[in-house]
Amino acid sequence: MRRRRGRLDLTTPTLLGLPVAWLVVFFIVPIAIVAAYSFDVYSLFPGKHGFTLAAWREFIHSSVYLALFWKSVKMSLIVSAIIVVLAYPLAYYLALSGTKRKYVLLLVLIAPFLTSYLLRVLAWKVILGNEGVINTFLFWTGLRSPGHPISQLLYSRFAVMLVLGYIWLPFVALPIFVSLESLDRRLLEAASDLGASRLQAFRRVTLPLSLPGIMAAFLFVFIPTLGEFITPSLVGGANGYMYGNQIVDLFGTGFPDWETGSVLAIFLFGVVTVLTVVFARFLQPRQVTAG
Amino acid sequence: MTEGEELFERRISREDLLKLAAAAGGAGLLAGRAGAANAALERLAKETGRLQVLDWAGYGNDGGQAMFAQYVKTHPLNKPKFTYMGNEADALAKIHAGLKPDLFRPYVGWVKYFATSGLVQPWDTKLISNFKNLNPFMVKAGQYQGKQYGIPDDWGFDAILYRSDKVKPKAKSWSLLFDERYKGKIAWFDDIEMLTIAGLYLGFKNTWNQTDDQLKRSQKLLISKKHLVRTNWSSETDLWQLFGSGEVWIAYAWPNDWVQMKKKGLKVVYMHPKEKPIAWVGMFMLLKGSSRPNLSHAYVDAWSSAKSAKWLEDNYGYGHANTVARPSSSDLLRALQLTNPRAVTEPNAYLDRDIPRRALYAKMWEQVKAS
Amino acid sequence: MDVALSRNGRIALRALFVLVVLFLYLPIAILLIFSFNKSELPSFPLSGFTLHWYHQFLTNADLRAALQTSAIIAAISSIGAVVLGVLASVALTRRRIKGRAAVSALLLSPLVIPYVVFGISLLLLFHTIGIPRMILTVVIGHIVISLPYTILVLVPRLEQIDVSLEEAAYDLGASRLRTFRSITLPLILPAVVSAFLIAFTTSFDEYAVASFVVGTRATFPIYLYSALRFPNQLPQVIAVAVVVITLSLIVVVAAEVGRRAAERRLGALES
Repeated sequence: MRRRRGRLDLTTPTLLGLPVAWLVVFFIVPIAIVAAYSFDVYSLFPGKHGFTLAAWREFIHSSVYLALFWKSVKMSLIVSAIIVVLAYPLAYYLALSGTKRKYVLLLVLIAPFLTSYLLRVLAWKVILGNEGVINTFLFWTGLRSPGHPISQLLYSRFAVMLVLGYIWLPFVALPIFVSLESLDRRLLEAASDLGASRLQAFRRVTLPLSLPGIMAAFLFVFIPTLGEFITPSLVGGANGYMYGNQIVDLFGTGFPDWETGSVLAIFLFGVVTVLTVVFARFLQPRQVTAG
Repeated sequence: MTEGEELFERRISREDLLKLAAAAGGAGLLAGRAGAANAALERLAKETGRLQVLDWAGYGNDGGQAMFAQYVKTHPLNKPKFTYMGNEADALAKIHAGLKPDLFRPYVGWVKYFATSGLVQPWDTKLISNFKNLNPFMVKAGQYQGKQYGIPDDWGFDAILYRSDKVKPKAKSWSLLFDERYKGKIAWFDDIEMLTIAGLYLGFKNTWNQTDDQLKRSQKLLISKKHLVRTNWSSETDLWQLFGSGEVWIAYAWPNDWVQMKKKGLKVVYMHPKEKPIAWVGMFMLLKGSSRPNLSHAYVDAWSSAKSAKWLEDNYGYGHANTVARPSSSDLLRALQLTNPRAVTEPNAYLDRDIPRRALYAKMWEQVKAS
Repeated sequence: MDVALSRNGRIALRALFVLVVLFLYLPIAILLIFSFNKSELPSFPLSGFTLHWYHQFLTNADLRAALQTSAIIAAISSIGAVVLGVLASVALTRRRIKGRAAVSALLLSPLVIPYVVFGISLLLLFHTIGIPRMILTVVIGHIVISLPYTILVLVPRLEQIDVSLEEAAYDLGASRLRTFRSITLPLILPAVVSAFLIAFTTSFDEYAVASFVVGTRATFPIYLYSALRFPNQLPQVIAVAVVVITLSLIVVVAAEVGRRAAERRLGALES
């Protein structure tokens, strides 16, 4: 059999060229522009410009921005932790209970995630308001008197975290499911043969082996929610304001404070990149594809 | 774009023609040639297409039809097409993004900014028949360096709206927006104006041009009181939803918001604080490079008519610069001080004005939101 | 004895699963209920059945324009993402690449970038180049976002296919392109369709990046977002929401079922 190895290699640049070029031009370069903007090496508005760390210095010294970032980190951590803990038993049930329709049920679980994000946030806006579904239901059934609704449901940090959790819950079950599914049952059987109880088997075998899935799940929800701005702007009110909102506001006004906005954006990007690199081994493509 | 260029070229030809006629000498020759040329070119230079209007929500085909009904009647082929602006900064952003409106409506505090921005051109007040009826004080506020950049139309106040059945203010003051007793029931306005209001409350002499020190104090006040705020509203319908459902009992608001909440049957009071409310006047501005200046003048003329003015006062609870108009309700008349030609200025209120250091105010306000 | 789960454990977990699924679908069900509700405000008690809101949104020209804009953007960007995805996936699975890890990382990196940062970066890029913001700019952004998803769907399928089939064709004298067209493409077609649908739904629903680079036209999510601020539009929006969610659920389920069925059949052909 003849193997035309030489010719095989020539086509690789042709194949990869276009996708890679696309990403370089429309992904890498734009981010570089933002970075340049944050150092005032580049600007779209008239005035004196030159490399300066002024915007970055202000970002670090002013107590406002980092505090806002930390607030967003806390909110994202709480949401991510809760829904990963909630998703684990769901994935466990699907993967290890031997149910015949596990893929169907998985689809049932994941499907809402694949429908519209905004519309699901809308649903909660409808549910949580003072005259929304929950409150009017409570009035109707007499559990609360009209005129005394539970006010803090909407336009609060709680609302933001609840909605974000709701949005991402289906998605985080997936990587955990994948890692549990690929678990070799015989390991569990071996553990049992060696006298381990179910709980011990879980703690010593299942849990550690599914750790990559858990980490992947956690990162898949933590990273996007860190930069969230849509949900906070719809249900967060003044209190649920997050880091992403500040970036949008700084760019959204007709007024050029794009420099500060760029600094905030690059900082977020930097943090996310560091997280991704550090936990890279958990974010294998295998974690996301199922079946 | 091509339309504008064509227009421009025709105007040049007309001028050249006139110069030629003048050079040839003879008044008759001038009149004859120029007259014929004018007529011919007038026909050629007719403005076409729909009038592009950039305006606030509620003033277009979403409820404001009565304001420009007269224009639609006389210019049925050039009906207005609306794009909505959330506020002046949003309008500015949209124009930068490539939107090409013929006219738009920023408020009095932005007249100087836009006049010096190179984005707008002055109006020819001779083309506006209702101009003579407009409140002279407001007309002056729309001028910059003697030229009429803004045609005043609606006016009103920034003050405080509150539920009289739920709220007992300690004083008639801006302090109600910072009242600890009503935590979670207060709504501020998502705008740098909150800094201006903080400045008024703190007693600064010129709150539109605060010193660095004063700005820091205003910002500090806002940050310290932020925990009382339910949300910062940016579009009136947000406010109506919040107020109407009882989520919020106290809010920075405009007179129309009071009118709308009363319509919903709520017990509300529109309070003019003792530190004085801020008054605003809407200013129509004509964009430079507009290919429909004559149509724009006609549109503004319709808006400035007594009929439109009366409709505005009756339905939106705002005053109108047309001094001849009177609303139907005398309650409203009194409440909004519509017969007082100097309602928008001291001693009654502070007319909103240009903020020289707007970028710094903007930054400070963003930091308040971030805290 | 089942090592993974006791009988009680199984019952408990099944109950939890049911509860969570109910929780996930309940808000959607609530939207469904209120889309038929007479009153303009979504609150209890219900005030009567009506199809008025569905009727209203069907005659809403702005809404239709927004849906159209979103459909066009989604279609074009999905095709782009799938084409680039096929190229990249074939390269990743069939060729030796120097620095494969780095290349994979680059191709998948849009997955981890917060869209707010990406949206801004595109905004700055287009301002720099001087391209006005319009449909094309949104398409560009959506291709970047969807590309990793298409790769994630295509790569496993390409790895699953028996390479010897392709090699056989190749050795029989077929050009690489011919091999791809006649052997590989038919086998990965279900995955290609799947990838297209994922890219389509991602783009159709995408708000963050679109809001920065769309200029003055409205995509469907952008229209939705601003409509959420107008209470008189709310019932219409709820009706639209129900329709869109139902349609996307149907599409998602059908796509997945179809893909599995097709791949099973193709698998039978392969051996």
